[in-house]
Amino acid sequence: MATAAVPLPWAAIAQAVDEVHIPAPGGDATISFLSAAEAADIEAVASQIIPTDDTPGAREAGVVYFIDRSLASCFSRLAGDYRAQLAAFQAAYRERHPSAGSFASLPSERQVEYLKGVEQTPFFTTTRLLTLLGMLSLPVYGGNRNGVGWKLLGFEDAHAFTAPFGYYDRDYPGFVIDPVTIK
Amino acid sequence: MRTQTYRDSETVDFVVVGSGAAGGVMARELAQSGLTVVVLEQGPRLSLASFTHDELKEWYLGGITNDAVKNPQTFRDDGAKQAEVQTLKPALWYGRAVGGASLHYTANYWRFHEIDFIERSVLGAIAGTGFADWPIAYADLEPYYTKVEWEVGVSGLAGASPFDPPRSKPYPMPPLPVKSSGVLLERGARKLGLHPIPAPMAINSQPYRGRPACIHCGFCHGFACEVGAKASTLTTVIPEAEATGRCEVRPDSYVARVETNHDGRATGVAYFDRNRRERFQRARAVVVCANGAETPRLLLMSANPRFPHGLANSSGLVGKYLMFNYSSRASGVFEHELNEYKSVQVTRILHDFYDSDPKRGYYGGGGLDARIGPQPATWAIRTAAEGPSWGSAYKARLREFTRTMQVASHSTSLALESNNVTLDPTVKDAWGLPAIRVTYKDHPDDLETARFLQERGAEILAAAGALRVTKAPVSAQTSSVHLLGTCRMGNDPATSVIDRYHRSHDVPNLFLCDGSSLVTSGRGQPTMTIQALAFRAGEHIARFASRGEI
Repeated sequence: MATAAVPLPWAAIAQAVDEVHIPAPGGDATISFLSAAEAADIEAVASQIIPTDDTPGAREAGVVYFIDRSLASCFSRLAGDYRAQLAAFQAAYRERHPSAGSFASLPSERQVEYLKGVEQTPFFTTTRLLTLLGMLSLPVYGGNRNGVGWKLLGFEDAHAFTAPFGYYDRDYPGFVIDPVTIK
Repeated sequence: MRTQTYRDSETVDFVVVGSGAAGGVMARELAQSGLTVVVLEQGPRLSLASFTHDELKEWYLGGITNDAVKNPQTFRDDGAKQAEVQTLKPALWYGRAVGGASLHYTANYWRFHEIDFIERSVLGAIAGTGFADWPIAYADLEPYYTKVEWEVGVSGLAGASPFDPPRSKPYPMPPLPVKSSGVLLERGARKLGLHPIPAPMAINSQPYRGRPACIHCGFCHGFACEVGAKASTLTTVIPEAEATGRCEVRPDSYVARVETNHDGRATGVAYFDRNRRERFQRARAVVVCANGAETPRLLLMSANPRFPHGLANSSGLVGKYLMFNYSSRASGVFEHELNEYKSVQVTRILHDFYDSDPKRGYYGGGGLDARIGPQPATWAIRTAAEGPSWGSAYKARLREFTRTMQVASHSTSLALESNNVTLDPTVKDAWGLPAIRVTYKDHPDDLETARFLQERGAEILAAAGALRVTKAPVSAQTSSVHLLGTCRMGNDPATSVIDRYHRSHDVPNLFLCDGSSLVTSGRGQPTMTIQALAFRAGEHIARFASRGEI
């Protein structure tokens, strides 16, 4: 017979968990979860991870909007830890540069110099993870605007492809079973 | 088609727990033998139209897999440590929908070789490990490997590999079109005197048994196929099981316990339905095909006064000997575009280093294949571990995506008691059941083998003309999709959980069949062997049922 080993409140919890996974609608370029100062520093770091040069970088991809939205929805389980990591990053930065403004307000070269010293910290590695997800996920999640992340890689977003797929498989003569005997 | 349904109170012949690679095959074999079957699947039944190219959803948000929120897992690399909850992705990753991991696998369908079943006898004992022979040989499984190739549908070229074990029939479909990575693997490997071959894949190279040919969209690894060209049980054996009129597949059914009576026989399973109401399905026998993580978890959760350490666990080995396989990789950048993100993952492989070679000084062997690895975001994340990880130099590396390929290795894991699945003492899942606690640390020989194969891959890339070759560090694994060995097969009830026919040694009408049954890890690509085992087990179990031997 069925046992009653399981406490019931978990059912409600599981339902709530289901709802967390519904992504927010796309296209909205506002910061709603992070504070303006948090968003500015995160965007500054993301823009050093994938900088803007002759092609768009994390800033043009709208990575910070992806991060803001995902922390409020699908990655809400990371939000607490990540905010604490950001606060630690900001505190360490202020201690080192007490008279300067925010990290985001530093000139780019000085941002790079500072980040070289913190690239192994949890804040930096989590920001890199979120930046890459924001750069290369479907644009509906708020980043990868106009597919600029995919364009950077050369990834073509198409439903199907036909051979040849690349340079080296053109004119392939067909597989020939190697007559060489086993060593 | 209107499929059969059963009431909980009806005693069906079999409950099959899990609808993945093994469960789907098991259901079809039993139902086609005239037996009544209810398949309980913890996930939903999804339509092909719902399958997406959404990398964030499928890789990071548990789209069709167990996700880190509903199904939390804890991980540690040492049994003396406190296991930590894995917040981003579970340590053990598997399908959670009708079709199971056969929905999201890469579909590399290598047969195990003869040596995989008898390695312990050939090489001798390895101290501190559970290295053992199988109770069956390759010859016992050969007819069922052939059955998988023809019933499920595998594309490949028989006779291409000088290392392949004997086979009774060719493949039913020719290989898929070669990709640039395959051409380059072939070029580099042949220069070195190696023997590259077309990859056997459970993906249609031409229309087969009512399913279409591959459209080369590129989203196989971690994604479900939206056209059904990749052979999942959802699109192959499960509809055939249902067509018998004797099989009900019941999705959204989360199994909590296998119940036993005072005779020590299974009476059915307790599960939560989609409304999270507790229900009980009566059955004459139970077959658990829930995968190498969920099967031992279910047995451990089913402990009762008669079986205080869990069902079928008189050996104490339920959950032990977890094996992952290892996959190391070398990346090469070439002058021209390869566009490896298109089409199936792998088109050429080689098995020259398959066997363990005592001259290397450690146990292990494996295969190599040509691929890019995962899709854009995950490729970018992994590439950061191989060189520059941010800034202009990293951005330049990202621009090489279409000109990059990998040679990936797939190699052995030794069975260690200290690598295991247990019930976490405190963390619960969304149903209030104990979370899976994973304890895992690669054996040093497994890491040596992975490094050895990575070097061979790097040599092949260089011989193929790569402009630059990089290697991802080979370090201890903390996650896997290959969940093997946790309810091993054997003749001796003291050292194994199931017998050679997958019947548990302790509970006569309880059978287990999935990755947990494996005695050795093979060289990656376990699904082919899991399905061959399921075809074989299904035939034997149906025979036992017809003779009244259950």
